[in-house]
Amino acid sequence: MHGNLALRWVAWLSIALVAMLLPRFALAAEGSAQQQAERQIVQPLNNAPLWRDVRKGENPYQTTQVRGIETNVLVQTEGQIWREIRNGPVTVYGGYLLVLAALAILGYYLWKGPIKVHGQLTGRKIRRLSPWDRTIHWTVGISWLIMALSGLVMLFGKYFALPVLGYTLFSWLAILSKNLHNFVGPVFLIAAALMFITYLARNMPAAHDIRWLLKGGGMLTGEHVPSGFFNAGEKVVFWLGLFLFTIVVGASGLVQLFPNFDQGRVVMQYSNVIHAVTAVVYIAMMLGHIYLGTVGVEGAYDAMRYDGMVDEAWAKEHHEYWYNEVKGQSTAAGGAASPARAAAMKEGWKL
Amino acid sequence: MARMKFLADAERCIECNGCVTACKQEHEIPWGVNRRRVVTLNDGTPGEKSISVACMHCSDAPCMAVCPVDVFYKTSEGIVLHDKDLCIGCGYCFYACPFGAPQFPQDGAFGLRGKMDKCTFCAGGPEPDFSDAEFKKYGRNRIAEGKLPACAEMCSTKALLGGDGDVIADIYRRRVTTRGKGSEVWGWGTAYGRPEKPPAQPGAKS
Ligand code: SF4
Ligand code: SF4
Repeated sequence: MHGNLALRWVAWLSIALVAMLLPRFALAAEGSAQQQAERQIVQPLNNAPLWRDVRKGENPYQTTQVRGIETNVLVQTEGQIWREIRNGPVTVYGGYLLVLAALAILGYYLWKGPIKVHGQLTGRKIRRLSPWDRTIHWTVGISWLIMALSGLVMLFGKYFALPVLGYTLFSWLAILSKNLHNFVGPVFLIAAALMFITYLARNMPAAHDIRWLLKGGGMLTGEHVPSGFFNAGEKVVFWLGLFLFTIVVGASGLVQLFPNFDQGRVVMQYSNVIHAVTAVVYIAMMLGHIYLGTVGVEGAYDAMRYDGMVDEAWAKEHHEYWYNEVKGQSTAAGGAASPARAAAMKEGWKL
Repeated sequence: MARMKFLADAERCIECNGCVTACKQEHEIPWGVNRRRVVTLNDGTPGEKSISVACMHCSDAPCMAVCPVDVFYKTSEGIVLHDKDLCIGCGYCFYACPFGAPQFPQDGAFGLRGKMDKCTFCAGGPEPDFSDAEFKKYGRNRIAEGKLPACAEMCSTKALLGGDGDVIADIYRRRVTTRGKGSEVWGWGTAYGRPEKPPAQPGAKS
């Protein structure tokens, strides 16, 4: 009984609330014109409520003869907010992040130097990446680099390149950057999609990835942590970078790339901030990837360059499960039973 | 030195769009670019107001702050001008400007923006005064000719004023104090705006 009564009260209350609020919403939507008409009778020449709406950019009754994007909007206040976010935190903290990431890598390099292969190189090579693997990675890599550099020119160039180059020269650089950014962008997105499909199977998370991550890949301790075809660090770059960041940067970039769909300024401002923030984090992360793929890990660059072959010792050192798998397969193909492979796998899992 | 300003008097504007036309004519502005426009509020309702708006030549101009190549500069009279040769057409000034002043000729594919164009307060650009290059890129330099902006000069009701900020503020102040019934004064509309009612008590002293 009591429960029933309480329920009925709640129902009544909510109906009353809705009834009270509804006219208010209706008034807010269409009230401005009516309010003004009424005000003309009691307070001619005093249009304060209307001006308040205009100032807030809220009046839906602004019209103009001039055609174009939001030409009927008298004042848009969001521009100033966007200016403060872009010129403020995005530029300042974004700049700090990139400088710190670069310094951290430099510090690691000076401290540990390149990661070397411990045993003797065997001279026996195994295939790591096919020609298509490498072609698509280089297409993404080069187009990504163009996007990053040209983007940096447009966000930070005013502060570091303009004072050095002067107005005319820097403007050339910026015009070149903007056009490269516009035209290479779509190329990058298509290449990234193809690369995602190509590398997807090899980047599926596995149980041993967690162990690798917990130990930081042994990067600080020098401990040997086995991994599959790609280690967990590379998988993070794949999922966070190639997948997530590319989608976010791509979508927010395309919104700004095609102003001919009449999207308003607020959409552009949001896109711009999302684009810049994601891009800066993306660049900071990829600095690490580029370092490890070139000077950071001895022999890693060979897999991407030349013929995609790596030394067996390198494979065992850096991707032991994968190495065992390849070895197991080749013995299996050679006729000697698969127990060899099973044993190798077991050995890998034990570690 | 005078600080140049625009002032739009909403009580006078009759939405004739004469200023828009004058601007186009004076500077031979390309099709699709509108340095000035008239916005009407609550069109068709008693008390509708119209306001002519273009670049207001802000003191702390947002366009100036966000431009990646720093094309904007300010004259000693506070007029915000820009160098079209340097502009990369990114559109950031348009995102930032409160008044929607920056315009872009969109003749490229997919809405690719050309060089930004906006009101110059009829003060031309960085090229030598009265040069062909200056006229082609920025329009006439009336300020160098000793004249005021074309839009304000030809405004038939003088709703749009342009010139030395102190002078036009004085003109506006005089208008405010002399026109209407004082309803702009705080509280007057509320207190005296309604028709006078006879005293409520019959027979009370009048
Ligand atoms: S373009 Fe806009 S932000 Fe720049 S000075 Fe003119 S009104 Fe101000
Ligand atoms: S469109 Fe031109 S003037 Fe405007 S912010 Fe970009 S570069 Fe500067």
